[in-house]
Amino acid sequence: MIFGAGILKGMLVTLRSFVNSYFKKPDQGGLFTVEYPEKRLVAKERFRNFPFLVYDEKPEDPRCVACDICAKECPPKCITIVRDADAEGRPLKKPALFDIDLSVCMNCGICEEACPFDAIFMDHEFEIAGTERHQSLLYHKEDLLKSNGYFRQIRPSDAALIDARRKEAEDKKKAALKPAAPPEKKE
Amino acid sequence: MLELIAVKGIYILMVFAAAAAFASSLLPNLFHGALALAAVLLAVAGLYLSLGAEFLAMVQILVYVGAVMTLVIYAVMLTGRLEETVTPSGRIQRAAAGVSCAIFFVLVCGVLLSTNWPAAPGGNPLPSVKDLGIDLMKRHVFPFEVLGILLFAVLIGALAAARREKS
Amino acid sequence: METLFIQIKTLLVNAAALVLPPWGVTLSSMIISALAILGLGPLIMMYLTLMERKVLARMQNRIGPNRAGPWGLLQPLADGIKMLTKEDIRPSAADPLLYFLAPILIAVPALMVFAVIPFGKGMTAADLNVGVLYFVALSSTTTLVIFMASWGSRNKYSVLGGMRSVSQMISYEVTLVISVVPILMAAGSLSTQTIVESQSGRWYAATPWGLLSCMIFFICGLAECNRSPFDLPEAESEIVAGYHTEYSGMRFALFYMAEFMNVFSICALTVTLFLGGWQGPLLPSWLWFLIKTYLLIFIVFWFRGTLPRLRADHLMGLAWKFLLPLAVMNIPAAAMSHFLSEPFSTAVPLAILMVSVAVLSFFNKGYAAEKRVYHFTD
Repeated sequence: MIFGAGILKGMLVTLRSFVNSYFKKPDQGGLFTVEYPEKRLVAKERFRNFPFLVYDEKPEDPRCVACDICAKECPPKCITIVRDADAEGRPLKKPALFDIDLSVCMNCGICEEACPFDAIFMDHEFEIAGTERHQSLLYHKEDLLKSNGYFRQIRPSDAALIDARRKEAEDKKKAALKPAAPPEKKE
Repeated sequence: MLELIAVKGIYILMVFAAAAAFASSLLPNLFHGALALAAVLLAVAGLYLSLGAEFLAMVQILVYVGAVMTLVIYAVMLTGRLEETVTPSGRIQRAAAGVSCAIFFVLVCGVLLSTNWPAAPGGNPLPSVKDLGIDLMKRHVFPFEVLGILLFAVLIGALAAARREKS
Repeated sequence: METLFIQIKTLLVNAAALVLPPWGVTLSSMIISALAILGLGPLIMMYLTLMERKVLARMQNRIGPNRAGPWGLLQPLADGIKMLTKEDIRPSAADPLLYFLAPILIAVPALMVFAVIPFGKGMTAADLNVGVLYFVALSSTTTLVIFMASWGSRNKYSVLGGMRSVSQMISYEVTLVISVVPILMAAGSLSTQTIVESQSGRWYAATPWGLLSCMIFFICGLAECNRSPFDLPEAESEIVAGYHTEYSGMRFALFYMAEFMNVFSICALTVTLFLGGWQGPLLPSWLWFLIKTYLLIFIVFWFRGTLPRLRADHLMGLAWKFLLPLAVMNIPAAAMSHFLSEPFSTAVPLAILMVSVAVLSFFNKGYAAEKRVYHFTD
């Protein structure tokens, strides 16, 4: 072997990546950096970050029925729910207060799995940085509520499955209600 | 005007060299003393430069400041402790040093005053680098060669001394 | 274009002649050259940092700084402002005077060597007839300043870095000086301007002895300015940052500046001595000079992007056992080419050098770590 041949070999490797970085596409050995604030990677559908609440028609009627299951299941206990009540003080099937402390949330997604009403899902949003530690990361009901349309947009296949299941359940319910009348007639 | 500045500049350099020389012998800290010695050598190089002996000045810097002083400081750093490189010097030592310095000063002054300095006969009295080289290679070729052989022997000797003993 | 800078200077000097006495004109001519160099040094350094980061990034499949300004062109400015506004910390145990002086003094030789670099035809600030010696002498004083910094900081890492730096510089200085000798012999002068002019027919790097000399000079130059792969004095994985560990803010920036200016001047001198200096067809001379110099600087960064740091004993071994004998052998080889006629003037030195490279490579084979033998007790 010639003295210094190994050095030349190494130099060629670095020179190749230097030249390739200017003239080659990312998949051919060029630069594969995605310059974040301007460009970003396409988010995977099942990418999960922080939870959000889904409503169907309008934000005043969320799917959430304030059952408190998610708050109980939440490992770091970052969810606080207070059930709403009507004028006479009877409890309603919706939350008056739904707070998630995102500084405590550990992005596990157990709330989504635990929810029997398909009301809480994991979001793709991750740029939640604020100028203050406590209040800016404490998300209230108003901040958390997002439309089903948004959910369909970020997680189309999950949303399709869930929508189909809900529709089926609703149809069954209607069907159960409808046939309930005819047998009465029969008798 | 510029020549006036140059002439006065020589005096400034001389004063600086003398001050640095005093500092190098009087500073209690060994490292500071060595650096002051480097300053003396640089000032002397400056004097050579102002007298038109460019080659000598550069060799002075290269050999004395670049090599000898570096070795001196290297030795200081290797031997002395880092925090306290103050050399203790007794009263007798100081007195002896002072006396010997005084004697040396008188002797040098005597030589300087008794020598009949030949004035350069106008024009460019200084030999150029080329002349120096030709002189070294023709008239003084024997001492030059001897020095070369000596230095080469020193180089090889140093390598041999530094070689690891084969067990 | 060719004489652009010279014309600017003449214009300025002529303007000065209107208001100043004759000695003032001479002085202003000097000051203009000095100011040009003083401005050039930091400018070169600033953009070399950007270039280095860009080149290294590309070699490591990254993009490099691109946030400040287009292609990151304002990044050096931002860095400079950051450096200037940083807190200036002095360790309480440090030697106040040495700690204060070292960063200032280290920039002085780095800037002064620019005086003898011929940036173009007639564009040498001071065409000394001992130019090359001036360069070598001044760059050798850097050692002393590094010592001041390392000892003045009172930090063990600083001292270790200083010691490493000095042992490295002493070793490579010798080889550096010897490797220039063939060029001085061929050109018959120490003046950089004359050396460039003597290469009008053929670059020295185009001869076998010149090429070898060029490579040795370049490698030793890298070691002189503590560049990778000879960056042991600043080995951040071992001794924090070497001799400038304790420096922050602008003081650190001065060390950094000196390092980059040394890189520039080593490359510029390699171009001057071996690669024909400012000579080249079509383009203006100063542009040729800059193109060649920046190509060499690219090679410096390329080395940094490729080679790992040398081990201390390998570093010394390379200098004393390989480069130095080769540089010494190069002198008779160059002398041969001077005295022989054409076919032999290339062939004989080539043969001498090939044989010596082969012999030295053979004797330096022992470089590889010895294979360990394990003895097991039964």
